[in-house]
Order: sequence, then structure tokens, then C-alpha cells
Amino acid sequence: MELDEAVDVPRSRRGFAFVAALVAAAVLVPFIFVLATRDPATDRSTESPLVGRAAPPIMTTTLDGEPFDLDRLRGQWVVVNFFATWCTPCRVEHPELVAFSAEHEEAGDATVVSVVFDDQPENVAEFFAEQGGDWPVVDGGGVILDWAVAQVPESFIVAPSGLVAAKVVGGVTQAGLDALIADLAGQPTRDTTASGAG
Amino acid sequence: MSRPPRWASWALMALVLTVSLVVAARPDGAVRTPEDRIFAIAETTKCPTCRSQSVAESEAPIAKEIRADIARRVESGDTDQQIRDYLRSRFGQEVELRPSATGVTGLVWVLPVVVVLLASVGLAMGFRRWRRTGAAPVTDADRAIVAEARGRS
Amino acid sequence: MNAALGSGGVALGLAASVVGAVSMAVALAKGRTDLLRNSRNYALLILLGAVVAVIAMERALITRDFTVAYVADNGSSRTPAVYNVATMWSALEGSILLWALVLAGYIVAVARKFRDRLTDPLVGWAMLTMFVVAAFFFFLMVGPADPFTTFDPPFGYDGPGPNPLLQNHPLMAFHPPMLYLGYVGFTVPFAFAIAALATGRLGEGWLVATRRWTLFAWGFLTVGIILGAWWSYEVLGWGGYWAWDPVENASFLPWLTATAYLHSVMVQERRGMLRVWNLSLLCATFALTILGTFLTRSGVLDSVHAFTESGIGPALLGFFAVIVAVSVGLVGWRGDRLRSPSRIDSPLSREGSFMVNNLLFAAFAFVVLLGTVFPLIVEAVNGDQISVGVPYFNRMAMPIGLLLLFMMAVAPVLPWRTASGELLRQRLYWPAWIGTGAMVLAVLLGARGLAPVIAFGLGGFAAGAAGRQIVLATRRQGWRGFVGRANGGMIVHLGVVVVAVALAASSSYVSQGEFRLAPGDTATVSGHTVRYVGLETEEFDERTVTRALVEVDGDGVYAPSLSQYRFGGQTIGAPSVRVSAVDDVYLALQALPAEDEDEILLRVIVQPLIMWLWVGGAIMAFGTVLAAFPGRRRRPTDPVSGPPAAETPLTPDEPVLAPASDLQRSDAGAGSESSD
Repeated sequence: MELDEAVDVPRSRRGFAFVAALVAAAVLVPFIFVLATRDPATDRSTESPLVGRAAPPIMTTTLDGEPFDLDRLRGQWVVVNFFATWCTPCRVEHPELVAFSAEHEEAGDATVVSVVFDDQPENVAEFFAEQGGDWPVVDGGGVILDWAVAQVPESFIVAPSGLVAAKVVGGVTQAGLDALIADLAGQPTRDTTASGAG
Repeated sequence: MSRPPRWASWALMALVLTVSLVVAARPDGAVRTPEDRIFAIAETTKCPTCRSQSVAESEAPIAKEIRADIARRVESGDTDQQIRDYLRSRFGQEVELRPSATGVTGLVWVLPVVVVLLASVGLAMGFRRWRRTGAAPVTDADRAIVAEARGRS
Repeated sequence: MNAALGSGGVALGLAASVVGAVSMAVALAKGRTDLLRNSRNYALLILLGAVVAVIAMERALITRDFTVAYVADNGSSRTPAVYNVATMWSALEGSILLWALVLAGYIVAVARKFRDRLTDPLVGWAMLTMFVVAAFFFFLMVGPADPFTTFDPPFGYDGPGPNPLLQNHPLMAFHPPMLYLGYVGFTVPFAFAIAALATGRLGEGWLVATRRWTLFAWGFLTVGIILGAWWSYEVLGWGGYWAWDPVENASFLPWLTATAYLHSVMVQERRGMLRVWNLSLLCATFALTILGTFLTRSGVLDSVHAFTESGIGPALLGFFAVIVAVSVGLVGWRGDRLRSPSRIDSPLSREGSFMVNNLLFAAFAFVVLLGTVFPLIVEAVNGDQISVGVPYFNRMAMPIGLLLLFMMAVAPVLPWRTASGELLRQRLYWPAWIGTGAMVLAVLLGARGLAPVIAFGLGGFAAGAAGRQIVLATRRQGWRGFVGRANGGMIVHLGVVVVAVALAASSSYVSQGEFRLAPGDTATVSGHTVRYVGLETEEFDERTVTRALVEVDGDGVYAPSLSQYRFGGQTIGAPSVRVSAVDDVYLALQALPAEDEDEILLRVIVQPLIMWLWVGGAIMAFGTVLAAFPGRRRRPTDPVSGPPAAETPLTPDEPVLAPASDLQRSDAGAGSESSD
């Protein structure tokens, strides 16, 4: 008995599985390629819509009760540092900020502003008393949202022109800040993002 | 089953269903409070640090901040659109949990509909073709195979 | 010592699986089917390797052996003992170890179940495939995800313990093993699918084998998913149980394709159709388990569940690519020869309804997969970062879910082959009235909103149909009317209806509020009154727990709490829930009083019918057990796959009209009045 004749596969349906397999391959190969070329999610957090735009205003009073306006600091580089005392990397980077601030105090070309993120003023005052740092410290409030700060520590480098030049996620170091500012000073209009050196 | 139900029962059922659906579709008179608005916006806003949670659900500090900010803006009379625009301008498009319906992103809404339509059409065509072609002709060779298989058991 | 023992176990597993795969391949290539019998020995060696490794890891965890880096990173002397056992799967490397153990167990189970047929090339190919998969996972443990790297702990070192969220709840102990028993279990039907494609043979034995194993794995996956939802609800503090989070989707995707398969395989049994479709479904299910693992371990997507990023991303993606290439290649090459010329008589038949069912499940899987990976695709195309979140998934899932509920009502009463509209009307008369009654009842109870009310109506409709089938089956067969595939399936359907109704209610009628309460203050949400009584604090070794005592409805005090962990500084909330059949009152302590103040911030969420989600899940599990109950003993002389010698790929092993002895008559659609 000829078994080959017993089954008659209609001609029109022959190759259907083959075509379906081709279509599946055509969809899946680019898909796998896309997956293979993605960066891990955490790398994406240093991009910010703020970079290259005017720094959102910070017009409030410092913890000491003095009035504060970020615009008055135009003409120098400002490191706007968002922190909290309960955040370990923030505590780790603080001495670096102290050193950075001291280094640039004479030349007056760069300074630091700290913004408190979800913390008690008493804790902050105590922290600064212990650890040093004599730059303005303001409470977060609406500032946090304006600057789209999601976590701490985050720092923004504001150029002398008042534009946000860079966002740094994670702790900073004095050397890293100096290098970054030197880099940015060479290209004042370029959008840059960088991840933290800490 | 004794006697097949009359068409009248089905008509009654259709009537009852229609009435229920009409009642259900009517708004229940509850006013949309500001809390509802805040919650609705918060529910569809992604918490930037918390991985797949909305601002309404998360307890991260930034989520609480954003919730408070939404509340402030709702109180001061901003429209939903304005509030969303503000959040988007700060945190980027990814803060919207509902993907936009325009542009490349809009494909996520369109593709499933297209695929389901194509698949349904394909299935319907398959149904029709199967209906039209008769049963596979049973030849003597087929009967021999069956007999042999039966004989083996 | 533990690390060495563990590494030795892993090495043994790897060696056994590689050598096993190679020897199977050689035996198959050379036609030395007698050598295929060795697969049993290799399977046992793989299991031995996995068991040794697991024992080494558990021993290290329980004795807090910090020379093992994994224990140093995840264990702690402050963690309660039973959680230490579960710590094995609380982080990446250990979870791969669990996967390897479960897989090894399944391989040995297959070798035992098919011990009389090990020399059949079909089984040989299946064992080969499983050895290759096992080799991959053991390779992961030798390379990128080594759980036994060593560490030199400084004096007095104590580990951080598992993430506090994971310590909270005993469910954490059960959820992953259940999930893995399901997830990993899909390797078996996949292996047989590859075997069928490779040999070009599909026998009746193949069918029954893959169906049973798929049902088994599916049951555990269902339980694992429900447990995961329960854990989310109890622990995470926002009253939600499903967030369409990538990890949740990763477990849901194979569930969807496996459910489709469990239905369409019945069409294959009856009409010999959809063979290649079923094979593709099995390959897709397994591929989705690997893809899901990649998406959640590689770090490309954010997730509440995310373990950590690690180097296993590329390995998993590579493995996924291989599986896809092999599956698609085999289907393209062999698929047309395996297709049968059969056809269905009428779309208005059970076969037709199962095809529609498959279309819906495939659409559902497509939507979930698309939504999960779409942000990655958009980023690749134009660099934008977007999110696809709950609003998208809910909007897309809802119509599919409603259609599936409708099909659940219609399909069980449809006979095989063909039906008339008259027959359908006759059989669906009472279920339709039950559905109408359910809808009316809901509306009378105050339910508003088209989608949930329609869901209630369709739920009643589907429950009525399932109930009808069970009533008819028990009338005919007594207690046997509850067991067997079709009847157990009806019980599972009832469970699904319960879950669907609970889903509709709890997501459509949520009420919540956040309240600042001083001691003695009350708040009202949706008819429930909560009264804040006071705070109490308790100190443990590793944390300080502050509980807010809240009285709900004047009857019962509940204590949502905040735990401050000493190590790591995290504050974790533990919600407290008052469960009732009508609704859950969910209390989450948001903030303790500030200094010199006594007001707490309490969130109260009232959601109706939450309890029924878990009850429905239990019913589904119970129904699965009933469905697995054998309907009728197979005779030992029933025909199985044709002998290997007759290499006739063009001939389907089963004639279009399957021999009568193969049909399990007791579940030939129990309750179906049509004769067959």
C-alpha cells in the first residue's frame, strides 16, 4: 500500500506552517536584537528634561531664616545638591562638598546650595553643625518637584548663565565636580548628563 | 428538558437585561470630589523611583511630594491637563502611565486591535473554507490503515 | 566546605547534563536506541547534583555560614530560622538553584514515567531537550550566577538579611516554589513538542503525556500567581494585588498560552486538527518562561520585584534566541508534514468555540507582551522614554476578559461537531436567566458602571453553564460526575468566574481616604467607621515595630504597623486587613506622629469582594486536582506511538477517526447530550 497517496494535503495549504514560521522569524529576530541592545534601566536615570534649560527658580528662605534667591547667584557655577540626613551616600559626599566649597570660596567662581529632601529642619541643622558647610540650605517643598528630583542624593550643576548644565545622580566628589565643571565650561551650551562619581 | 421555552421568555430576558444595563450606565449621582480627581491623576502618574508603582500607591518620599503637589494644584484650580503637562515637563514623558495615543507610542494601542482583527478574519475564512470543502474523501487505503490499527489493539 | 560541596553539586549536574545530552544525540544520530536507556542514569545524576547543591546552600544558610558569599549577602543571624530556608530563593543566584532543582526533579519524573519507552526516539529526543535545558541552568550557576562564590567575612560579620519586605510574611516561603513548579514544569511538554517536531511523529501517547504534564504545571502556576497576588495585597501596603508589573506579566504570559493549549489540545484529540498550532503553543509557553526570566533578571525593565541586575541577562537572551530559532526552524521545516487535512464541520461547535478561545488567549498574551516590552521598542526606535502602565493593560484586558467569560458560558454546552441555534438556546436558557439574575441583583445592590455590571452578568451566565454541566454529569455518573477532565474543568471555570467577579468588583468600587487621626478620632470610608485608639511599640533584635491600634466598625481591633529596621535604615509598613465576605477594610499606617504630636496618618481602603479572589483561586486549584483524576483507566494494550522502524513522516500516526479505545469516553464532554 502506498501510504504517500493515502493523505492528500491540499496544495493551497502546503507551506502554511513554513510561511507562518517565516513571519514569526521576521518579527522575533528584530525583537531579540532590540532586547540585546538595551541599557539597564538604572543607567537611564541621569537623563533629565531640565538640562539645557533655565534653572527652575528657588526663591525661599534658608534654614537660618535668610531670604534666598538662586538667581542672585548668577555669574558663578552653582552645585544645587538635594540631600537628606537619613541618606547614607549623602552623608558620605558631604565632606567632599565642604572641600569643594572651601576650594572655590576665594575665587568665588563656584558655590554650593543644599536643598533638603523629606527631612526635619532640626536634623539638618544638627548635621551641618557637626559636619560643617556654610552655604545656603533651603527646605525642599515645591522645589523638589520643579527640579524633578526623585531620589537622593542628586546634584545639578547650574552654569553662570543660569542654565542647568548637568545632572548628577548619586554622590559627588570634589575632584569629580571640578572635572565636570571644567568640562562644561569648555562647552557652555552643550547638553550633558553624567552619572555620579560616588 | 420538556418543552422548549417560548420566544416570549427570551424577549422578557432581553428586556430585563436592557433595563439593567441602562440603569447601570446612568451616572450614580455621586459628585466627583477633588479627592477623586487627585486620586485619578495620581493613579496614572508613575512614581519616578519606585519601579512600576503609581504615585497613588507608593510611599516613597517623591511620591508623597507629587501627591501633595497634585493636591495643591487641584485646589488652586488647575485642570487635569495642566497638571499632567507640568509633571511631564519635569519628569519626562515616562511619568505618564497611560501611553499616548499619537505617534510611535500610539502603536501600542493600534497593534493589538489590528492583530486581533486580522486573526479573526483569518479564523472566519478558515471556518468558511472548512464548511465548503467536504469531508476528506475516505479511500480504501484509509480504511486499510484504520483496520490495521484496530486489529493491532 | 559548604561552598565546595555546593560547587561540586553544580559541577556534577552540569557534567551529567552535558554528557547526557551528547550521548543522547549520538545515540539518536546513530540509531542506537538501546543506548537511549541510559537517559535514566543521567537524569538521576543530574538530580543528585542539584540535591547536593541545594543541601549545601540550605546548610550554609541555616548555619549562617558567611564564607559563602550568597549567605553573606542575603543571610543574617537575626533572620528567623524558617525564613533562612526561604532565603535560598529570595535572591538571584539562589533562585536559579531552585530552578535547577525543580527541573532535575521533573527530568527524573519523566524518566520514571516513561521508563518502558526510553528507547523510543520520541522520548529520547525529549530527554535530550531536557538535558540541554538543564545544562544551560547549571552553566548559569557555574558562570554568571554562581551561588557558591566564597567570601572572607571579617570578624563579627553579620549579613544584612533578606530584603525586609520578604521577611514579613510566611507566604514568601511558598510563592516561589509553587511558581517554579509551574514555570519549570512547562519544560516537559516543550521537550515533547521538540521531540515530535524532530521525529515527525505525534502519537496518542505523546498527546496524553503532554496534556497531563501541562495541566500539572499549569495548576501550580495558577496557585503561584494567586499566592503572589495575595502576598502583594498583604504586604505591599497599597491594597492592590496586581500591578501589571513586568515580573507579574512574566508569570502570566506562559499561563495564558498554556491555558490556550489545554483547550485546543482537546480539538486535536477529537479531530486531529491544530497539531502544529499546539506544538507552537507549547514552544511559545516555554520560550515565554525564558523571556520572562530575562526581562526580570536582566535589569532592562524596572520592577517592584526586581532582584538585581546581573550578568545573566545576555546568557538568558542568548538561550531565548536559541529556543526561538530551534522552535521556529523546526515548525517551518516539519510543520507542514504534521498538519492533518481534517476540518471542522461548523463553527457553532465545541471545536469552533475552542478556536475562538485560543484566539482570545493569544490576543491577551500579545497585549500583555506588547505592553511589557513596548517601552524598550520605542526607546530603540526614537530614543523616547515612555511608560506603559496599568491604564493600558486594564483597558486592553477588559474586553478580552469579558469575551472570555462569554465563551466560558457558551463552549461547555456546545456539543462536538455541530450544533443548531435551537440547541444552543435550549441549553443556555437557564444559564442565561442566572446571568440575568446576577446582573439584576448587582444593579439592585447599587452596582453601577457598564463594565463591572456586564462582568457580573456574564459571570452568572458562565457559572450557570458550568453548573449545568456538573449537574448533568452527576445525575448520570454520581460522584464521578465531579472528576475527570471535563468535570474538573467545569469546577475550574467556576473558580475563574468567582475570580472574575471579585476582580470586577474590587477594582471598580474602591473607596479610600487618608486621615490624620489623634487618639479617639474616627473616620468613615464607604460605610465603615475606624477609630484610632493609640500606639504601641515593640522592640525586636533587628527592628522596632510601632503599631497603631485601630478599631473597625466598633468590632475588632486591628494593628497596622511600621517597622524600623536597624540595619539598612528601612521603614517597612505592615498593613492590617479586616476581611469579610462582603468587603475588606484595609488599614495602612502611613506616618507616625511627629515630635510632640499625637496624630498618625492612616490610609483606609475599602474594596468589595477581595476575599473571593483567594477563594476563587482555591476553587481553581481544587478543580485542577479533580481534572487530573483519571477518568477511566487506560488498558495496557492501548496503542501508543508507532514503532520507530516505520519512518513514514507523511502518515499521521492517528487516523483521522481515532480508535474508540483512545477516547476517554467518560469525559467526552460530560453532560453533552450528543453521541459521538
